[in-house]
Amino acid sequence: MSAAIQINDVTKRYGALTVLENIDLEIAPGEFVVFLGPSGCGKSTLLRMIAGLEAVDSGTISLGGDRIDTLPPGKRGVAMVFQSYALYPHMTVSQNMGFGLQNIGVAPRDIDRRVKAAAETLEIAHLLDRKPAKLSGGQRQRVAIGRAIVKEPQAFLFDEPLSNLDAALRGRTRLELAQLHQRLGATMIFVTHDQVEAMTLADRIVILNERRIEQMGAPMEIYQRPATKFVAQFVGTPAMSFLPVSGIEDGARGVTLDVAGAGRVETGVHLPATFARENASLGIRAEDAKVLTPGEDGVPLRVKVVERLGDRAFIYGTLSDGTDFVVEDAGRSTVAAGQEVRIGFDPDALHIFDSAGRAYHHTEGA
Amino acid sequence: MADRSAFSPESLTENRLLYWIAAGLAVVMLAPVIWIVGLSLKNNQELMLGTEAVFRAPYTLKNYADIFVNSQVFGWFLNSMIVAVGQTLGVLTLCSLAGYAFARLEFPFRRTIFILVLFGLAVPEQAVIIARHQMFNWFGLHNTHIALMLPGMSSAFGVFLMTQFFRAIPREIDEAAMLDNTSQFRIFWKVLLPLTMPAQATLGIFTFLLAWNDYWWPLISATKKEMFTLTIGIASSQTNFAQSEGLGFLSAQAIFASLPVVIVYIFFQRHIVTAVSGGAVK
Amino acid sequence: MAESYRRSRWSHALFVVPYLIVFLTLLVFPLFWGMWLSLNKVDLFGGAEFVGLRQYARVLSDPVFHQAVRNTVIFVAVSVPVLVGLGLFLALALNRKTRGAAFLRGLYFSSTILSVTIVTLIWRIVFIPNDGLMALIFAGLGWEPIGFLSTKGWSLFSVGVATVWWCIGLPMMLLLAALQQIPADLYEAAALDNASKGRILTRITLPSIKPTIMLVAVIQIVMQFQLFGQALLMTNGGPAGTSRPIVMYIYETAFIRWDVGLGAAASEILFVIILCAAMLQYWISTRKEEV
Ligand SMILES: Nc1ncnc2c1ncn2[C@@H]1O[C@H](COP(=O)(O)OP(=O)(O)OP(=O)(O)O)[C@@H](O)[C@H]1O
Ligand SMILES: [Mg+2]
Repeated sequence: MSAAIQINDVTKRYGALTVLENIDLEIAPGEFVVFLGPSGCGKSTLLRMIAGLEAVDSGTISLGGDRIDTLPPGKRGVAMVFQSYALYPHMTVSQNMGFGLQNIGVAPRDIDRRVKAAAETLEIAHLLDRKPAKLSGGQRQRVAIGRAIVKEPQAFLFDEPLSNLDAALRGRTRLELAQLHQRLGATMIFVTHDQVEAMTLADRIVILNERRIEQMGAPMEIYQRPATKFVAQFVGTPAMSFLPVSGIEDGARGVTLDVAGAGRVETGVHLPATFARENASLGIRAEDAKVLTPGEDGVPLRVKVVERLGDRAFIYGTLSDGTDFVVEDAGRSTVAAGQEVRIGFDPDALHIFDSAGRAYHHTEGA
Repeated sequence: MADRSAFSPESLTENRLLYWIAAGLAVVMLAPVIWIVGLSLKNNQELMLGTEAVFRAPYTLKNYADIFVNSQVFGWFLNSMIVAVGQTLGVLTLCSLAGYAFARLEFPFRRTIFILVLFGLAVPEQAVIIARHQMFNWFGLHNTHIALMLPGMSSAFGVFLMTQFFRAIPREIDEAAMLDNTSQFRIFWKVLLPLTMPAQATLGIFTFLLAWNDYWWPLISATKKEMFTLTIGIASSQTNFAQSEGLGFLSAQAIFASLPVVIVYIFFQRHIVTAVSGGAVK
Repeated sequence: MAESYRRSRWSHALFVVPYLIVFLTLLVFPLFWGMWLSLNKVDLFGGAEFVGLRQYARVLSDPVFHQAVRNTVIFVAVSVPVLVGLGLFLALALNRKTRGAAFLRGLYFSSTILSVTIVTLIWRIVFIPNDGLMALIFAGLGWEPIGFLSTKGWSLFSVGVATVWWCIGLPMMLLLAALQQIPADLYEAAALDNASKGRILTRITLPSIKPTIMLVAVIQIVMQFQLFGQALLMTNGGPAGTSRPIVMYIYETAFIRWDVGLGAAASEILFVIILCAAMLQYWISTRKEEV
């Protein structure tokens, strides 16, 4: 039932505006892929091209080895869950779910059976005779998913399906979606700009930005080894801090950097000989820096704001050259705004970016 | 300032004096109607001697009974029904199809055609009626129900209204249906059309009223007495007023003729108000 | 090239074809055919002879047409301000959420749904000499009776009364709709600023609905220029043509005297007048959206 999806050299334009350019992407059968990216980067467009709701300007899309980009939406064997759910307002829940099967001439008894089965799984069996207007947001969402499930599609497409739910329901539905994926083993593509959703649901995250795929990979890989400065900055909250690098010296463990606000910083990163040394920058995540106990030698940070989340605290401040910097501290942190603290970094967790934004990381065993 | 009820913006705009003047003026709206109702319940001979007879008994329903005896009025009533219902069904069919296409489908010259249709809104009846009369003459169509129904179906208002309504339905509904393997016509028929029912009701009632009340076109197209609609028929029997028919009988006819629209109005007031104000106030 | 449902297709146009056929044959074609007719001398049997602008010259030099134009202009000039003013008054008075107000709104609008035949029948019966409601009222007050429908001046006035009675619902409803669209927070802000009721009316309410007032005025101008049924049925244009409007002139020339070319020319002249008003209406309503 699950099928591979190949996107080959796909380009999409709206008039003079190129939204996506030469996109290549292979999705394995049963894989859960999340498209993540800033608003307007073309996530929905790419999804809708797979669904057949937008035409492809060039390139091909295949599903299970068959080319589908020339087929009308209903013939592609994909199901889609819309952000607004798009339930048919005048049909009951069971009619909503059965409509697609009815259109392809499935026998009424089979429709009934499949609708009931899907409703059982989603725990909406008691709602089958209601109309969408009489459902809560969460229930509508389930019906929308149910409508996709009964079609037994080769791939499921989700366009920000959780964004209309409140925080608690969102968390619960996220878990249920993960379970659903495990049980059905179907290929799923999920569009979101919520990082938590992306990190928790995805087998693989595809980061889109400015017409192209910026990086794809497993969630932890994206987080720990962002391919570019854009990804490093886009993924993770609070965003990574970037410090300008003025000099680079090779060393045995890795390069040592001259950083304006932090003096000499030793890293565990090896740079290739071709690395362009001008305008490089150093990236540090908040959790990879720590506040040192008074008296220890470290980089001075003037604290401006302390954000306490309970289990941890984020300390926002500026380095001596005025660069903004965030560091994570324990929830019981006693640091207060206006203080000056000393901070230190984990050398193996540092990221170095060249002027074009390409990232270099510590490599194990190097 | 002992009034501790919550502030409401209405309190700033409402004016008791204006309200009571408006309530008083309602007498002017009602008095003529009550007068006619009174006359319709009186014996014609008694009214000949003086209409102040309205204010005293006896009252009778004879004038209404006479309408059914006088087969002509009843025939006109049927004509009006056939024409109004036919025209309404025609308008709903044409405008729903066109509104769907203008709102949802791409075809060559779509915008141009739509703008052309909107220009139709600005064409008053008297600018086309002479030519229309000639055209129907060419085809020998005068004095038929079809001739009375057709011109009303060219009205651009309904297309405009239905287009707006189809546009207001989220596109995702169509897209979901496409992914559900629904054919184009089935999307229109099974998915979108049921959602336009409120608009259908509004447009349908509005068209019915217009058709029922139309005067100009039936006046020149239906020249045979048996093809008259109620509007024309009643107008024709008024010409030699009071003398021949009697005030009571005339009044009863007027009330009988208005019955369908009054009933429609009582039940569907909201739709009618939407239709007449919808076009002008967004 | 990939497939998309948004693609332009000739087959999609099939949905508009039925309406377009009716639209073209019954509106567009007659519109142009009417223009052509106005350039012809048409006889009873449909034979036509091209005469250029001669019909227009005939209309414009016809004293009966002059009189009809004068009557219509006077009628519009008086009835439109009355309709707009009264409509505004009723809208302001009845813009409240009580049952009584809802009933009165329904009542004032109800006459709009009657046909012109019924309206004129009602008012003729009210206005008939000796036996009419008016005559009874006048007698009761000890006033001299007036032949409303048969006296110069009064006949057009009576047509106007019936027209206002018939048409008052639409301006009222349009203005009510506009009043209800004024955001409530505007009034809340005014209340916090200690504005008096009078100032709220002149500084907030009226300026907010000014575009609609203009629009209503133009709609009424367009409608009242087409005055026809009331005059035909109540006074038949009399006495001595003093209540004959332009449309009635068109009707009489084209369908009573069968001077089709002349009637067509007169209708084109009226069309131009109405088109100007309609353009004004379009201009006002589009300008309103930009606010
Ligand atoms: N029908 C259209 N015509 C023209 N431009 C369009 C159209 N649809 C989308 N775009 C443009 O294409 C770009 C990508 O849109 P898309 O909806 O795919 O973004 P997105 O990544 O889904 O954003 P979001 O996260 O806000 O949903 C945007 O710049 C948008 O303005
Ligand atoms: Mg999107």
